[in-house]
Amino acid sequence: MGENGSPVIEIQDLWRSYEMAAAEVHALQGVSLTIRKNEYVAIMGPSGSGKSTLMNLLGCLDTPSRGRYVLNGRLVSALDDDELALIRNLEIGFVFQTFNLLPRATALHNVELPLIYSRMRKAERRERAREALRAVDLEDRMLHRPNELSGGQRQRVAIARALVTRPSLLLADEPTGNLDSAVGVEILALFERLHREGNTIVLITHDRDVAAHAQRIIVLRDGRVESDVEQARKEPVAP
Amino acid sequence: MSLLEGIRIALGSLIANPLRSFLTLLGIIIGITAIVAVISVINGLNLYVADKLSNQGPGVFVITRFGLISNHEEFLKAIRRNKRLRLADANELRERSELAAAVGSEVHSTDNLTLRGETIKNVDIGGITAEILQIEPYEVDGGRLITASEVEHTVPVAFIGADVADRLFPAVDPLGRQIRVGNRNVTVVGIAKRRGSVFGFSRDNFVKIPISLHQRLYGVRPSVNISVKVADPSRMADCMDEARLILRMRHHLKYDAPDDFGFLTAEGVNSLWENLTRIIFRVAVFVVGISLVVGGIVVMNIMLVSVIERRREIGLRKAVGARPRDIRLQFLIESVVLSSVGGVIGISVAWLLAWTIRTYSPLPADYPAWAPILAFLVCGSIGVFFGLNPAAKAARLDPIEALRADA
Repeated sequence: MGENGSPVIEIQDLWRSYEMAAAEVHALQGVSLTIRKNEYVAIMGPSGSGKSTLMNLLGCLDTPSRGRYVLNGRLVSALDDDELALIRNLEIGFVFQTFNLLPRATALHNVELPLIYSRMRKAERRERAREALRAVDLEDRMLHRPNELSGGQRQRVAIARALVTRPSLLLADEPTGNLDSAVGVEILALFERLHREGNTIVLITHDRDVAAHAQRIIVLRDGRVESDVEQARKEPVAP
Repeated sequence: MSLLEGIRIALGSLIANPLRSFLTLLGIIIGITAIVAVISVINGLNLYVADKLSNQGPGVFVITRFGLISNHEEFLKAIRRNKRLRLADANELRERSELAAAVGSEVHSTDNLTLRGETIKNVDIGGITAEILQIEPYEVDGGRLITASEVEHTVPVAFIGADVADRLFPAVDPLGRQIRVGNRNVTVVGIAKRRGSVFGFSRDNFVKIPISLHQRLYGVRPSVNISVKVADPSRMADCMDEARLILRMRHHLKYDAPDDFGFLTAEGVNSLWENLTRIIFRVAVFVVGISLVVGGIVVMNIMLVSVIERRREIGLRKAVGARPRDIRLQFLIESVVLSSVGGVIGISVAWLLAWTIRTYSPLPADYPAWAPILAFLVCGSIGVFFGLNPAAKAARLDPIEALRADA
């Protein structure tokens, strides 16, 4: 089914090594994979399998020691800090386990943040942020600060912030890890809706139940792809 | 990120922690307050001195035995070298100077005055020629000035200051009454308008009598001060040169010998004074500078703490597209805003101090317009200088590490 979309992510023989004391640790050892537009992929693996390292590379927060990474037709494995910042700003929406909202800023301002760095004019920024909050059903909480919101609402603000730049890749790192399971289901339902609306989603998790919501599950072990399975589409959870 | 956005963020984090911000800024506040207050006081002193210390109006200079001497060694030399000036010196000047409009002479001595049991100590007894009262000038509150004919004929008359009038004649009009000066009774013919005091010294505690009478009562030894009013104030320097030439010839000085007399001018007094206050000012700036450096180090310290506390925020900003230079700018703006707020508070406190001094003392303490601007610029520079290191640290943070940091 992935054949229909054009590739968003193409990585070939990706290595990431760290100098640790005397030894060299290879967190990723030759990972290759392609993720196409509008795929919903879960990356799984036990701790130490390299999934965080892979996420950092996919998110352009880090650069590989070896190998090629092409994001949306652009070779990003050789870019400098400023260019990577631009790519993160335009192409990638991050959703973190701990939300990472600015505590003193309103939901609206938090969502606006990426647009500030893309130098968008204020009026347009406001409108786009409002639209993103509307997409996660938080229009009525726009002027609340994070400490006035529930955990699920905070994560929805974070998702709105990830969506506001209309990125080509939504990258979620254990997005339900800090939420109780009922709220977690709610967030996963939101991801499924975003997927149906055409977004490309990569979700990193160690939880099989969470991964089960995705279309395709990639399992990493010891820095290598252990399995890469497309699964039959589950019936969408009622929103 | 726009500048305004940065300032908004900076003010936000400043207000979020008011006590810490205040303590952080204390050094800068004290430093800026001190420097602006010192500027205010010195500025006030200068105005006060320019207004009051120099009695002479424009276009007047005074020749005295010593002139303005500001160091001890110079003074010792002058004591040996300079002869007392005589009335004859003044007469010579009056006759030969072409640029002088008026030449007057005055001798001073200090004496106690007693009348009906009331004693005033240390009254300035001035022996004058009639021109003095016009050159300086004295305004008349009642009666008249001493005339040239009274000086010529040694008539026992007196022109008295307001303090003397008040103390000796608290209930009656002093005009036409007699006071005892030295061992002579003299008749009061005029009272001077009150001139106020300078640094607590009254300028109304005087009696002027004809110089001829003064010499009879107190002897001819005291040196005469010669006041010269220049006909054309723009030719003041020429007139002083002319006077110098006349006196040197009269004193038979060799061409390479230094003057054996000195000049006093309003500008001279003021510039001597300003030299003095400039030194005070420099010392103050140095001391305050130390306080500002300490203040800057405190700002740097708090910015470093802030960078560590806000690692996650920095990580997040980087993740959503902030470039290192955006982060650096944000923290630089924060540090500049922080120290500028300190500067504004310092300037305000100094303004309040200056206002208090101005209102409750005779000193017209006020700072010139450049003082707050300079203070503000200094604070801004402190912010930039001491913010560079923390801002660079923040910009260099690895986003992955930063995002992983404990909240």
